[in-house]
Formats: sequence, structure tokens, C-alpha cells
Amino acid sequence: MSANGARGAAPAFREDFLESLSNAAGVSGDEHRVREIVAAAVRDRVDTLEVDAMGSLVARIGVEGAGVRNGNARTNGSARKGRLPHVMLCAHMDEVGFMITAIEKEGRLRFRRAGGIDPRVLVGQVFRVGGAGVRGVTGILPPHLVSHTEEDKVIAADDLYIDIGASSREDAMRHVAIGDTAVFDTTYEAWGSVRKGKAFDDRAGCAVLASLVQERPPVPVTAVWSVQEEVGLRGATAAARRVAPDLAIVLEGTASGETPGAGPEESAPRMGGGPTLTVHDRSLMADARLVDLLRRTAAERRIPTQWKRPGIGGTDAGRIALSGAGVPSAVVSVPCRYIHAPAAYLDVRDARRTVELVWHALRAIGKEWSES
Amino acid sequence: MSPASLKSAAALDSLLQPLLAAYGPPGRESAVRSVLRRLLRGAGTWEEDAIGNLHLHRAGEGPRLLLAAHMDAPGIIVTRLDGETGQARLSILGGRRPAELVGAPLRFEDGRAAIVSWDRKEGADPEMDQLLVETGVGRAAGRRATRANGSRPLDVGDVAAIDDRPARLGDYWCSANLDDRAGCAALVHALTRARRVRYDVHAVFTAQSDLGARGATTGTFGIDPEMAVVVDVAHLGEPKETSGFSLGKGPCVTLKEQGFLAHPEMLERVRKAARAARVPLQYLIREGEGSDARAVRAARSGVPTAVIAIPARRTGGVGSLVHATDLEQTAALIAAILEGAGGAAGERSKSKRTKTKARAGAGRTKRGGRT
Amino acid sequence: MPTAIDVRHGSTADWLRHITSLPGVPGHEHAAAPEIARVFGQFADRVTRDPIGNVYGWIDGTGETPRPRALLAAHMDRIGFLVKRIEKGGFLRVTSVGGFDPRTLPGKEVMVHSKPPMPALFGTKPPHLQARGESEKVVPLHELYLDTGRPEAEVRRRVPIGTMVTLRQPPVDLLNGRIASPGMDDRAGVVVVIRTLELLRDRRPEWDVVGVATIEEEFGTVFLGARTATERVDPRLGIAIDVSHGDMLGAREADTIPLGGGPGLTVGSNVHPRVFEGLRATARSLKIPYHVEAYPASSGTDAMDIQIAREGIPTAVLGIPCRYMHSGVETVEPRDVDACARLLAGYVAGLASDWSVTEVLK
Repeated sequence: MSANGARGAAPAFREDFLESLSNAAGVSGDEHRVREIVAAAVRDRVDTLEVDAMGSLVARIGVEGAGVRNGNARTNGSARKGRLPHVMLCAHMDEVGFMITAIEKEGRLRFRRAGGIDPRVLVGQVFRVGGAGVRGVTGILPPHLVSHTEEDKVIAADDLYIDIGASSREDAMRHVAIGDTAVFDTTYEAWGSVRKGKAFDDRAGCAVLASLVQERPPVPVTAVWSVQEEVGLRGATAAARRVAPDLAIVLEGTASGETPGAGPEESAPRMGGGPTLTVHDRSLMADARLVDLLRRTAAERRIPTQWKRPGIGGTDAGRIALSGAGVPSAVVSVPCRYIHAPAAYLDVRDARRTVELVWHALRAIGKEWSES
Repeated sequence: MSPASLKSAAALDSLLQPLLAAYGPPGRESAVRSVLRRLLRGAGTWEEDAIGNLHLHRAGEGPRLLLAAHMDAPGIIVTRLDGETGQARLSILGGRRPAELVGAPLRFEDGRAAIVSWDRKEGADPEMDQLLVETGVGRAAGRRATRANGSRPLDVGDVAAIDDRPARLGDYWCSANLDDRAGCAALVHALTRARRVRYDVHAVFTAQSDLGARGATTGTFGIDPEMAVVVDVAHLGEPKETSGFSLGKGPCVTLKEQGFLAHPEMLERVRKAARAARVPLQYLIREGEGSDARAVRAARSGVPTAVIAIPARRTGGVGSLVHATDLEQTAALIAAILEGAGGAAGERSKSKRTKTKARAGAGRTKRGGRT
Repeated sequence: MPTAIDVRHGSTADWLRHITSLPGVPGHEHAAAPEIARVFGQFADRVTRDPIGNVYGWIDGTGETPRPRALLAAHMDRIGFLVKRIEKGGFLRVTSVGGFDPRTLPGKEVMVHSKPPMPALFGTKPPHLQARGESEKVVPLHELYLDTGRPEAEVRRRVPIGTMVTLRQPPVDLLNGRIASPGMDDRAGVVVVIRTLELLRDRRPEWDVVGVATIEEEFGTVFLGARTATERVDPRLGIAIDVSHGDMLGAREADTIPLGGGPGLTVGSNVHPRVFEGLRATARSLKIPYHVEAYPASSGTDAMDIQIAREGIPTAVLGIPCRYMHSGVETVEPRDVDACARLLAGYVAGLASDWSVTEVLK
């Protein structure tokens, strides 16, 4: 890790953050383990560090007058003349996962999903349940016992159960409880420039953000690691009111577009193609000026970027943008394959480029936004 | 092409024509046997077994190698008659789709000609029970029948072959019976061209392959080989999950097909021989279709087996297309294997083999065939 | 008279983890065979392999020669895939060897056994990109694809068509000693054979006993390894050890046996009544729990081809309770594996040299 802030170069992307964050369990509403890892990683680098009422982690660097600011201060999102703009950088800590809803007499666990998970990836899968990470499997009747009409039917999540090997409810309750959360049991790995792990949406963003604040950013930054994004963009809604920034950039792990046989255009955004910029998704029209700044910064720094396919998905930026009197917002994402599935891929070079792009964009924001 | 390969190509053509034209639906392969005996006269000792396999033994030093290609090609069998009109319903012998047979010329064993027509109802694709055999010989005509023109009414159980007119179109052979007469031709060509054969060779031209590898089952038991190579034809794109291969890019070696998975050592032998003979090799994985290999490999204590498949393409009608170069290269590959280019031809397999008489349907091995 | 023989419980779990970790799909059993042969060699008097690929571990009996032979068969192939095509983008299409429910595959991690091996996974579409109703359709195998994450040129260079692919899931320790892993079908059976050889080495039977790790039980309609091994060995008795359906929600009681309840003893046409009776009597006298499984026609195991090979062989089937067969999380109890080994060793050790099922009436 080089101390290069002084020379204006971006901090390095910290892969060790990505690894520990990816392996950690943090289903929406149960993010505290992830928060502890981030807090430990950034504590010495930031001015203030707080946990808000919903559990989001809020860090301030160079933001004068720390503390609650009251709602709608400015229009146009431009800073008061002479002041540097206050930028909120946000990434969400929660991952899609499960919660145990019942423990049956024979020791089987029933569960509900938290966040959008295709039920087809749940069959024959291994999970870690609760704080102790008790392992369990979702069984399925073998093909030998299934009729032809049955085998063409997708098994609904409500019909699945997790088998932890318990012999009875009493046995199971010594190890797990109703209300415990569960995650896919996936272990982070690396080969070439590929990184494999669970929850890259959005531990990739969390790791990028934690890396960015290892150096003092060129503008005042409030870094928010938010909660409960996957269940309705909830943590960011509250946090944005509290932070009341001038601008916001959300850091995400987004779905890439590759499928077999697809040509380069159809595959965009693709893993390895660079940070992905959002123009429009279901929650947000990204601020055109901010997007343009990002694009120009990328061109100047020769960082390859891609466009996210418009109209798909939603992020915390949607809520931040509508907060108070409005906050110009944009989203920069690391493209990942197989988000919301047990294991995803990303290209570590994209993560490094994202850190670099955002860092230099902050400098450009410092120059351009103050003068407006 | 070099003069040697021109000669070789011409020789292959002269083998292929009579083989393609020979009458030989499953269970009625005698005409094909006659052609093969003629083409391989003097090449070794002949035997014909109970099911109709034709077995050529070319004695030699080295491991006992079985080479197999099947003689039968799909045909039809008459199931129900309408004596007045000379029409009959049919059942297909072998794996052809009804749509491919619409309009197909047929020939019965005694030379009578007929044609397949389609009693079209609603629906785009013909079903087998909508197909008819038309001979034009009803009862009335039959009473006037002369032996000369062979006009005899049909009988239930009569078996017809597709009356093939093999044609050479540019680089391709187009014919109904390429599967597996092309394999037979390649095998014959290899046997006649190979010098210094490194095996004790048992070439079996099998019967009733299209009815479920029947000839291969009994034929292999009788010979009890130490290893085997099956030569067959594989059609492109069917079913649709088949791995991609092309015409004109060389023979295929099969990795997986119905009832068969490649034996790693035999696969390597084929690869080495292909390199030595400078024959490009493609890979075949096909679902739901197989060859004699599934029976050959399961015989007795098991036989390490490879399958070499000549690529073909269907026209949608009776004919299929095969690239002439693929055929030549298949023959060259088999010859290379026979000459030991697959490596270690002199090496016997690890098991101690008992001697068995090479007679189909013969009894059992002696006890003690243990390793 | 069968005697009780002790087995150390702790190490069976280790054996299960080790033996299930070896790759080896039908047709590629040579990836597992050397290690299985080595392990057999720790307990057998000698180990051989045949040209087709079966592995044999021989225990010499104490009776006068020629001695009758008992064949104990467990299949070493496990279901998996072969690479059949490389698409633009470097994605792999595969064909299965062995029966997979494609519903268990989306999102799963696999190992592509190129040299060196490459991890990969079955790609999925996140809900954000799906059309309405898409998540209600089962994706068939030929529409699934594998993603290694690597560039297409590298994939084409390193992965030949036909490369073996297996599910990549390390064994999962559940409560009550249960272990979930792909490949319990039938590596758990192979472990039973290993443990049985170990027991018999110490307590020599009159008969010769040969444990066989067979090939290709999971592929095709012929159990090729069982058929050819029986032809080669010419046994007087053959017992197949395979996994049986363990108790699972939604399965009928008639179709399953409970985990922890000991081996399943099959009764039906594929099992000779005298062998069934002998196994049951041994279980009772050794106080080994067991359950009876009724299969009137096919047992679905190697015993089908052992029985009709050569001139016919009396056969039996021993079942290890296993939940979620043919998924990546096949679950067994080491206790059941031990019980199977003790039962087999006890039964075989008690067979007299003149035991035979054929009768001459006149």
C-alpha cells in the first residue's frame, strides 16, 4: 500500500478488503459483521466514524461542521462559492440472502429470501446459517423419485428446506434459531485477474470505498456504507437526509452482460471492460453533468469505461437523488458476472480502475463544482 | 493430388459404388456379403455366423484386433396390404424419419421396384403410419404376372431397401446408404492397402446394426478381441446437441455416444495414428444415437474400443452427403492403425488372454481369465 | 459363525472426504483409479487393474484351492460432464455423463479438469435482467453454460473437447456426524469396500474375496464395469454396494431408508433369497441395524449385470442411506458406512467353502 495521496495519485485498490468482505455474512438487516470489518479498515484514516440509527456506517473526512445538517440547504446542487463541494460516496453492505422462519419437528429449517434471488439457484446448495455459520444444504428429491411432470417444474423457495443434519427440532435449536440469517457458503478465490466470491454486489463497492478513503480525498467526503439496499434502498434513504451532501456517487457491483455466443456489443457491460457508468436505471436518471465529468475524467486518464444498459435495476443513488431538495447523483460500478447467485466473478483490474476513476473525478469535482 | 492418392481415390470410388448399390436392409444382408467377399478376395479366411455377420480373419502377429463396420442400411418392411390397389403400409427398419422416405424409390430382394408415397392428412410432418408402398401391382395385374418383369403382389413381411442411385457431386458422394457402406468401403480399402500389419486382424462386417447392434453383440463374443475399432458414419446436427463438426475437415473420433464412452488408451492410439498419417481429426459427441461400439465394448470381459465416424450431412430426403476426402482420410487412418502407427502395437493389453476359437456363437472362455 | 469386528469410527469420515474428493466421471475413471488402487493396496494382498479400467483388491482365503470367490462391487464413477463445445466469449457447453437433474445446476461451481485444472461455474441471469416468468422455467442442460472467467483464447488453448468436468463442492460437515458432498454415489460404497478389505485381512475368510471398484455404473444401459469384472473374476457370489435413498421430505417412506438406521438390504428378483437371508441373519447376530428395501424388478445397481453375467451369479445389494442423490450435497452418515462394512465382512467371513446355490435334482 503506497502513500501516494501526496503526489495526487489515487490510492491502491485493497484486495484484502474485498476478500474479507466477500466472505463475511451480512444479509439485509444483519450487516454488523461487515460493518465491523469496514470500521477496522478505515478507522485510522477518517476524521469521524459513526453508526447511524439503521446501522449504516458513516465516516467523514475533511467535512467541516461534522454533525447533523438540516435538510434542504441549496438548490442546483452547487456549493456555496469558494467552498469545496461536499461529496457523499456510498456503497451498500448488505447482500441478498435468507432468514430462517421455522424449525420443523424433524429438524428441517424453512426460510424466506431477503432480496431478489432466482429460486432456481437454491437447489442442492450449501448455506451458512447464523453467527456461527452452521452449514446446511437444500435437498431435492433425486431424479429417480421424481415423476416426469415434476421434473419440469421449478421448485419454489417456499417448498425448499435447509438440512443441517439435525435429528429433531430440539437438536437443531441447540445450533440455530428462528430469525437467524443465512448466506451462500462461497469462498473467495483468485486466478489470473478473475476474482470469484459471493456478494460482489456490493462488497466490491464497499472495498472500493474503503480503499478510496485510505488517502485523504481531494474534496470533503462523507463515506457511507449503507444497510438494507437489497430490500428497498432503505439505509441510503435515511443516511442521505443526515449527510445532506452536494453531490453523490454510488459505488456498486453491477450485472455484466455476457452470454455465450453474444458479440461484443451485446455483451456490454463486460467483465474486464472497465468501470461502468449509469445513465438511467429504474431508480434514477443520473445527473448528466456529473456523468459527463466522469466520462471526461476517464478519457483524460485513459481509463476504459462502459455504459450500463439503461433501464435495468436500481441503486441507493435513486433515493439519494431524491433526498431533501435533491442531490445530483451518479453511479459507478464494477461489472460482475452472476450477481445474486451463489458465486460471482469480477476482474480485479476493473476494481482498480474504479478507484482511480472516482479519485480523479473527485479532484475534477473539486475544480469544476466550486466555480459554478 | 499426387498420383498415388489419385489412384487411391479412384480405388475407393470403385469400392464404394457396388457397396452403396447393394441390397441390404437389416436382416437381409446377403447381397452385401457377396460384394464384400468379391472385393476382399484372397485377403484372409472367411466365415459367416448365425446372425449373418461376415468375418474376415487376416492372421498376424500382435494383439487380436477387431475392426467393425455394419452392412445393413435402413429399409422398410410391409406390414399391411391392400391387395386390390397394390398399396401397402410399412414399418421402417432402422433409424430413418418418415419424412425422409417420402418419394423414396424402393427395391425388394427379388428386384421388384416400388415407391413410398404419403397419404397426407392434416399436419406438416408425415407419420410412419401415413406412408404407403406403391408397386402398381394389384391382384388383377398379379394374375397376369410374368416372371420376366417380376410383377408379383406384395406380401406382408416383404423387406425393401432404398433403391439407391449413388451420385458424385463435386467433392461429395450423395447416397442413401452411406451409413455405413462408406464405413465398409473405408475398411476394405484400408485392409487392401495396409502393409506390415501389426495385429491379428478380425474384420467383422456386422449384420442388424440398425436394429440395436445385434450382429456386433454375438460377433464380438465369438472373437473375444483384445481391442476394437468401429467405423461408422455420423450425421451433422442431429440431434441438435451434437458437438460441432464439419464435412471436409477429416474423420471424427467419438468421445461419447449412446452406450459408449471413449477408452482413453484407444483414443490416444487413434490420435497418434492420425498424426502419423497426417489425417486431421475432429471430435464427436452425440446424444441419443450410437454405433456397434456399445455392444463391442461390453462383450465378455470388456474390449477397449474406439469409434471412428465419417462425417455426413442429411439432405432431408433419402440421400446423405459425405465428403470424398473424409472417406479417403478415414481409410488412411485405419491403415495407419493397422500398420502400428497408433503406437505400441506389439504391446499386449495387461490381461493374460485365454485362447478362444474365433467362431461366432461358440461356447465360453476357459476359466482362469484372471489378471 | 460371524463374529463382531470393531471399526474405528473417526477415520471413516476421513475416508469419505478423501475418496469423494477424487474426480472420475464415467469414461474417465482413470482419474481416480490409481489412488483407489493405492488405497486398496493398503489392505489387500494384491491389487490389479483390467484393460477396461476396473480396479481389483484381492484377499486370499484360507480354504483349499480352488477356492470360491466373492465379488464385492462398488462403482468408482461419479456423475459429471464433458466439455462438448467452446462458444464465442470462452463459455463452455457440456454434455452430461450420468443423470443430473438440471435444476440442481444453476450457479454451481465446478472444476474443469484441463491440465492444469480450471475452476468455473454454471452461469445464471440475475433477476434484474430476466423477462417476466423466466424464473419459473427449468433451464435444460444444453442451455446452461460454464464460465471460467478467462479469455476465450486461453480457454480454447487449454481445454480440449471432451475434458471432464465435476461439481466442485468440498465436503460439508453437518450435525450428527453427517457429511454432504458430491460423489457419495458411490464413493461411499468404495469406502465400504475399503473398510471390508481391512476387516477381512485381519479375519481371514475361507473364500477368496475380491473388492472391485467398477467403472461406468452411471452411464448407459449396461453396467459395463460390473459385467466385465464378473466375466473376468468368475465369482460364486456377487454383492453390489451402492447408495440408497435416505429419508427426505416429500419422499414416500416406501422409497427410503433412514439415515443412521444402518444398511438397506434389498429383497427382490435381483437378490438371491439365500444371500438375503444370510445377510439378514448376520445383521441380527452382530446387532447391526438394517432396513429392508423392496425392489421387485430392477435394483438399479451393478448387481443387475453381475447376476446375468457368465452363467448367472447369486447376488445381493447392500444400500448406504444417502439423501439428495445426484445433487452436489449427497448426505451420508459414516456410522452407516461402518455398519455396511461390518455386515459384509461378517457375512463373507462366515461362508463355507462348499456354499453354493445351484441344485442338482437328479
